[in-house]
Amino acid sequence: MDRIVFESVLKIFRHRPALFNWLGRERGGETIALKDVSFSAARAEVLVFLGPNGSGKTTALKLISTMLLPDAGSVRVGGFDARRNAGEVRRQVGIAVAAERSFFPRLSARENLDFFAALDEVPRCERAQRINEVLQDTGLEEQADTLVMKFSSGMYQRLGIARALVKRPSVLLLDEPTRSLDAATTAHFWATIRALARQETTVLLATHNFAEAAAVADRLLLLHRGELLADRPVSGGESAEVLRSYYFRMTGEVDEAVLKR
Amino acid sequence: MTSTLDKLHAILRRDLLTAIRHRSGFVVALVGVFTELAAFYFLSRAIGPGFRPGGVEYFPFLLVGTGIYTFFVMSAQSFLSAVQEAQQTGTLEVLMTTSTAPAELVILSSISAFAGNLVNLLVYLFAGVAVFRASIHANFFSCAAVLVLSLAIALALGIAAATLQVAFQKGSAVLWLLGSGLWFLSGTMFPIQSLPRPLELLARAVPLTYAVDGMRRALIEGQSMIAMTGTLAVLAGFGVVLLPLALAGLSLSLRRARQNGTLSFY
Repeated sequence: MDRIVFESVLKIFRHRPALFNWLGRERGGETIALKDVSFSAARAEVLVFLGPNGSGKTTALKLISTMLLPDAGSVRVGGFDARRNAGEVRRQVGIAVAAERSFFPRLSARENLDFFAALDEVPRCERAQRINEVLQDTGLEEQADTLVMKFSSGMYQRLGIARALVKRPSVLLLDEPTRSLDAATTAHFWATIRALARQETTVLLATHNFAEAAAVADRLLLLHRGELLADRPVSGGESAEVLRSYYFRMTGEVDEAVLKR
Repeated sequence: MTSTLDKLHAILRRDLLTAIRHRSGFVVALVGVFTELAAFYFLSRAIGPGFRPGGVEYFPFLLVGTGIYTFFVMSAQSFLSAVQEAQQTGTLEVLMTTSTAPAELVILSSISAFAGNLVNLLVYLFAGVAVFRASIHANFFSCAAVLVLSLAIALALGIAAATLQVAFQKGSAVLWLLGSGLWFLSGTMFPIQSLPRPLELLARAVPLTYAVDGMRRALIEGQSMIAMTGTLAVLAGFGVVLLPLALAGLSLSLRRARQNGTLSFY
């Protein structure tokens, strides 16, 4: 059985100008973030969303996490509908959002993780050990007891990943997870993703990084202006360069790197 | 149940650690308490012993009125601030993806917010009695009953502020109403019988009026729960009506925000 099923999903963001808007230039309207998007993800599969800014990658992840609700169509995780059984869906999903600083600044990394683990119903007796494990996985052991208000962008990003991992979710959602990470941490993180997949975790990852897609993806979902342009497997031998040319060919965008050659 | 207690412990710990790491916060709050009490003490002395609203001395009257009023407003304020801060840092969206249901999260967070304000209230009353010699004849059970029932109403007001913050990013409007309208109407500084008749009737529709009056009768006059049955019943009635309404409103606004993608707007 597929662990995630996205069926004909439509998501529209409606913008209403603020009251007394005659002083400003803000206009009303709507943005179609996702248009009739369908795909599924199996147990132990790593799906990578590629697409330009505003293509709907983050929206898709937020819909699976129940942060957002679809306007039409359905999102199911582990057989539960994200609209009707949001609680059951949330129990299975861990998400690392791209937004940094979504932590309590005057708590340490360990205290933040302990707080979120309690809300995620991680048994108390297992919490300390799990927290140590994820701190190690994300290379934050030395900063474990530092207040997160003193963290750099990269540390925040690692902590976000640690928070998503500590509940041991069956579905892991990652939004540009290596955007602020150094090369060594990135390589270690890609190995962690593959290890999680071997342990039956379904991973959905949104990125702009072709090397990342080539390193971890089993399948590639190409989003463009809210539409799913392609859903295809990634073979082990495909390089970042191959994925890059595929991306530009499919989206019709101009690859400035090629123009410069 | 174990899981809920565990979550409550985590929330209390987070708030306590955050509070104690704001090093100057406690000192500033303590200085604020003494300054305010001193102002009320000298105000009551300036007015003179002849002014006895409801038959009690004016300083204890002010002490209890302002203490309960501040407890209400600060509880709603701390609750609203928590939501605003969570929106600004992005933690609200993440909190909404944890295994804890939003309503449970809200109630547990409010317990923590109220615990802090309850300590402030007790310090305020204790300082008023111990330092400024306010004369009280407390009935413990009546005080506890008024406090518990008032908590439910304060919780409802805090949730209402949070609801408006999530729905329209304007929770501060509720606090403005609390800060000015309720201060004027609830008999904090003077008895509501001094108001013109239409305003007095309006004041009688305000839950805080009964909380202030009930606490004065329990703490200053030492009235028993039996003597205060009417006031306690009104407070319970407000709680029974307002709390489910506020929770339903919050649930609706959170759902709407998830539909519209405005959960983290502020």
